[in-house]
Amino acid sequence: MTSWSEAARLRQRRIILNVPRLAALAARLLPAALFCALLAVAWQVMATRAQSPLIPDLREIALEFEGIVVGGEAAVQIGTTLGRIALGLVIAFVLAFAIGLTSARNRFARAFFEPALLLGLTVPGLVWALLCVIWFGLSLKTSVVAIALGVAPALAVTLTQGIEAVDPQLIEAAHVYRLGFWSRLRNLWLPAILPFLLAGMRLAFSLAWKVVVLVEVFGLSTGVGYALNSAFISQNVAAVLAWTVAFTVVVAVIEYGLFQTVERAVTRWKRKANV
Amino acid sequence: MSASLRFEHVDKTFVRPDGAREQVLDDFSLDVLPGELVAVVGASGIGKSTLLHLAAGLEQPDAGRVHVAGAGKPRLGMVFQQPRLFDWLSAADNIALAINAAGGDVGRAGKALASVGLARHAKSYPLSLSGGQRQRVALARAFAIEPDVVLLDEPFSALDELTARKLRLLLQELWLDHAPSGIIVTHNTLEAAFLADRIVVLAGKPARIDRIIDVSDMRPRSAESPHYFDLHRDILATLERGAG
Repeated sequence: MTSWSEAARLRQRRIILNVPRLAALAARLLPAALFCALLAVAWQVMATRAQSPLIPDLREIALEFEGIVVGGEAAVQIGTTLGRIALGLVIAFVLAFAIGLTSARNRFARAFFEPALLLGLTVPGLVWALLCVIWFGLSLKTSVVAIALGVAPALAVTLTQGIEAVDPQLIEAAHVYRLGFWSRLRNLWLPAILPFLLAGMRLAFSLAWKVVVLVEVFGLSTGVGYALNSAFISQNVAAVLAWTVAFTVVVAVIEYGLFQTVERAVTRWKRKANV
Repeated sequence: MSASLRFEHVDKTFVRPDGAREQVLDDFSLDVLPGELVAVVGASGIGKSTLLHLAAGLEQPDAGRVHVAGAGKPRLGMVFQQPRLFDWLSAADNIALAINAAGGDVGRAGKALASVGLARHAKSYPLSLSGGQRQRVALARAFAIEPDVVLLDEPFSALDELTARKLRLLLQELWLDHAPSGIIVTHNTLEAAFLADRIVVLAGKPARIDRIIDVSDMRPRSAESPHYFDLHRDILATLERGAG
């Protein structure tokens, strides 16, 4: 059995051995950290020079931020908004997959869905938010349907492009070697459309965030949009910025912790191929 | 002897993007016997690759029938001009995928790679391999499924001549070990003479069999044998006559 001290020594050794990995991580994060630091300094200079309640300084924003984080309000409201986004995205993905797959494989389906996609891409998220608030009132359905309608067209177009980009020569090879449906899905279709899928996920998340905040501002009594609206009504600019910072932190965690991790894992073969 | 691969009175017409119809095959018949490798040569666009696509089920005949013999579902290996490997799977996984689909033992993938001299590259991804190595993996995949029929569509035409020579010898070894039946489509008449048991020369439009040349030499063969250079000149003369 490994003793405690031995385990600690091994852990330390691993950390020492991982120096290149830590350096790589630092190199990746440093430019973003530098940008944030410069933005903060610029903001502070502007706030000091303006001396106006419309441009609060960093201390005021930090106090508001601390208030919503320590009091637990940030977790509740951001959690509520993320839950709505997740549900809306699931429906948007199912819709986009169905439309994208049939459009890429069938000329009639493509022509059939084309006007709907064009309409969906043209209509601003604000219109979907307003319509859903009018139609469904104060319910979960409002945000979920608004997200699905706002996100699905762009996602469907991205997925259609991804499916069309699959190399027909590989489809022929899969046919000759008689790969079954699941094997084709797992070993051909999903890896081939993955870059488009990841781009679509990022696009969908950013669009969904914009739509859900509008829905929460106009017609719901919970969520980040509602909290932003409350801060706006009380003319509390520091609170507006504190909520913006809180959600930005969550988005950064999702981007670096989820999207980039998934991207690195599924494109590992590209890095190994370049070794 | 019953054929392993049979084309029976096959017609095939393609419709071009401008709407024009082009008949490639008209009442075409050919038998490939068990263990036999038939080379098909002819001018570009004459319909050589169409024969392979019909045999592989990638195209359907307008009339007639293409029959691949084999116990139960016949197993078919195919090597294309480009390796057509899945870039996101390792060399071994590319082969294991085909073996698994054919209902074989995926553990054979390593052995298949060893048989083409790539035992050390089992975990390598296709993009990290050279063109010749990738085509070796494609050959290993085609033979790893213990195929009844192997179809080779200009398999070495994208490689430099030195690499192509090595791979022709490798193909000969694999043919000796596995003894499938098959067709190789090629523009290289010397390659056809060296590898094939019979050479089918196509001519005309729609394509018809202009001449069949028997190469009854036993394997292993030597690529340096003057006999193949004579055959090469003979096939070229037939092709020129057909084109004229």
